[in-house]
Amino acid sequence: MSALGSAAEIGKRIVVRKTAALSLAYLVAVALAAAFATTVGFDPLSQNLARMLEGPSRDYLFGTDELGRDILARVVYGARTSLITAAGAVTLAASVGVPMGLVAGFFGGWRDAVLMRIVDLKLALPSILLALALIAVLGRSQVAALTAVGLTGVPTFARVARAQVLSLRRRDFVTAVEAFGASSPYLMFRTILPNSWSPILTQMVVLSSVAILLEASLAFLGVGIPPPTPSWGEMLRTGKEYLYESPTYAILPGLMLTLTILSFDTLGRALSAVLEGREDAPVRRGAGPA
Amino acid sequence: MKLRFLNAPRLFGAVALGLAAVFAAQPTPAQQISGGTLRVAILADIANYDPHQFSFINASLIKNLYDNLLEYSPDGKIVPALAESFQIAPDSRSVTLKLRNDVKFHSGAPLTAEAVAANLKKAADPKLGKNVYPTMSFVDNWTVVDPLTVRLNFKGPAPERQITDLLQFISIIDPAGIETVEQKPAGSGAYMLAERVVGQRIRLTANPNYWRKGEPVSKEVVFTIFSQDAAATAALESGGADIIYAGTARSASRLRAAGYNVLQGPGPLVQVFRINTTRGPFRNEKFRQAFNYLIDREGVLRAGYAGLGEVVALPWALSSPAHDPSYAQTYAFNLDKGKELLAQSGLSQAEMSNWKLVVDAGNQPVVAISQVVQSTLKRAGIDVQLDLKEGAELVDAMLKGRFDAIFGGVGNIQKFPSRVTTNSIYRTTANPVLGDPHPHPKYLAAIEKVNTTLGSGPAVKAAYDELNKVLVESAFGIPTNTYNAGLIVTAKNVAGFTLDIDDMLVLRTVGFRR
Repeated sequence: MSALGSAAEIGKRIVVRKTAALSLAYLVAVALAAAFATTVGFDPLSQNLARMLEGPSRDYLFGTDELGRDILARVVYGARTSLITAAGAVTLAASVGVPMGLVAGFFGGWRDAVLMRIVDLKLALPSILLALALIAVLGRSQVAALTAVGLTGVPTFARVARAQVLSLRRRDFVTAVEAFGASSPYLMFRTILPNSWSPILTQMVVLSSVAILLEASLAFLGVGIPPPTPSWGEMLRTGKEYLYESPTYAILPGLMLTLTILSFDTLGRALSAVLEGREDAPVRRGAGPA
Repeated sequence: MKLRFLNAPRLFGAVALGLAAVFAAQPTPAQQISGGTLRVAILADIANYDPHQFSFINASLIKNLYDNLLEYSPDGKIVPALAESFQIAPDSRSVTLKLRNDVKFHSGAPLTAEAVAANLKKAADPKLGKNVYPTMSFVDNWTVVDPLTVRLNFKGPAPERQITDLLQFISIIDPAGIETVEQKPAGSGAYMLAERVVGQRIRLTANPNYWRKGEPVSKEVVFTIFSQDAAATAALESGGADIIYAGTARSASRLRAAGYNVLQGPGPLVQVFRINTTRGPFRNEKFRQAFNYLIDREGVLRAGYAGLGEVVALPWALSSPAHDPSYAQTYAFNLDKGKELLAQSGLSQAEMSNWKLVVDAGNQPVVAISQVVQSTLKRAGIDVQLDLKEGAELVDAMLKGRFDAIFGGVGNIQKFPSRVTTNSIYRTTANPVLGDPHPHPKYLAAIEKVNTTLGSGPAVKAAYDELNKVLVESAFGIPTNTYNAGLIVTAKNVAGFTLDIDDMLVLRTVGFRR
């Protein structure tokens, strides 16, 4: 089956699950809104100091913030920030973590010991602490946030990739390729990796939710992307100061954050179940964990 | 310190200061107020009990535990306090104080001229004088004339307002408690410390031997420290607190709309867009002057301080003798005039945007107003980035001048105009931002003229006018608005406030409406 055909088949098996289908639809909608926000005419930076902290109205569907900016526009643009950070962070984490895991698992010995101790060291540090330290060094910017969030995800990918290598390394198809004189990089990246992608893909989806949460946490702590760039975490941080005057200011980004994380998580679980062939039928109530 | 007796006037006459004190923010007559326990919500614990550490962190306690030699009424008139009278020598080189004879410290020790001298010694010590030390800079020495009379001798002729500012600034500590004053209060004020649970509460009880008759009105004060403004607000609304002191303008504005009383004292700070004129495009005077027009002060006041304050173009409070309201009109937000000056600067678009606005990330009003400025400047073609900093990094940037521009409040702007030089950006010597030699000699000359122009006639006004003109032209600080760090919000049944010239909290006259 071609890769495209395979993806379509996986897609079909995911969307038969109601919660997964809803999650996917939600995420696609958010991604489209974020991508075409400018085309639609949303302006998250335009200030109207005569209309600060107003409630929902015809002009501002979800009201205005403390500088008279459209909360809806900022939430939509905040989605862009969250999704870009998540995509970048996951890509970075996978790019660093997967090769680490492949090398550790393939060669074993001292390389495995050294790389896994580095991973252990990273796992021993709370992600938020590591991210805070990195931002303290790199300064506040989207690249810094993305890097900080991405590096905290490296150990997960390293461990998953290593586990896959360990389970595939002595399999016949690998031994056969090795017998033909394939080099170690060829074996790792052309033989083992293509057969390891399903758990890695699942981790990428799951880690997206973690990345969004971590980025929002950093912004909530005041070390995220600097203003005036909208971000859900930053909106939550500022919005809580104005709960009395403008409840939508904090509620809307909080709701979006919750739904997005929940959707990624649900999708990740469904993907995991499908790829591992654990369940093909939609999950029913009382049917046990997916 | 060597004491020197001055051949100065012997006359003490009765410079009767005591025309009734205009103590009064309160329309409620004293007889209509009854005492009880005042519950005050504050947002941060105090640093220590030293009244010479005149920083705002201690503002809730200083004027309740201690008294000063003089006070000012909210409109700047002198009110006698521990000094019942004073006389400035005809040559303006000394002042002689006559102390009250009925004042006792909390320890029971009487107030004497020796006690005042001990306090002057502390204030003149660079290590112990803290915030009062710079104000003592023009004092040469002092002399105890008799048990209730003390004379301060100056290094040269001093303007009257500078002298009275000093006397108002010094709280008097019991000499026996000077060494331990950081840990244990030693004042003569209306209240005495009864209990302190660090980070939680401070309880004061009335001083039974207080010299102001009939005061304090309330027999007990309990300060509760809330970590969040919203929690303090909720306490007031639920009846768990009677007063919120030093809360945010946003909450105060909302509470005022809900019918609570909001008091703004006469001693606000002024928010100043501080410019490092030694860096980047800010070396260009025309470019700097453009900022006088490019900042939407009305917008800044609304966005940062819920409109509680005044728009200003000079670093003075309304009660300052140098205050000139015409400047706020002349330099009102005007994008066209700002663009004209930008064009005259000769700088390219890229050069004009080649700087960052450092922002105090922990200060929500400053984050908001910085974004207002960023947005406004963009309309003028200046695309500037915000550089958010916190903690040590921020302090380092501010105090070592490691910034292109930054917003920061300045104090001491309600008294003698040259007191503004106690703020880093306005310092005339060892300026941490602008460096030495000071790059704005006209400013130095204007401050010197203010310091050396005596009396109260047209020459003084001319000196103030010249200073104002130089401040706007040199444009290393662009004031935007006043704001009260010491906002007072009270329950509807609380009355009798005495507003302090420094916006300190004064509770001795406060009670509950009968």
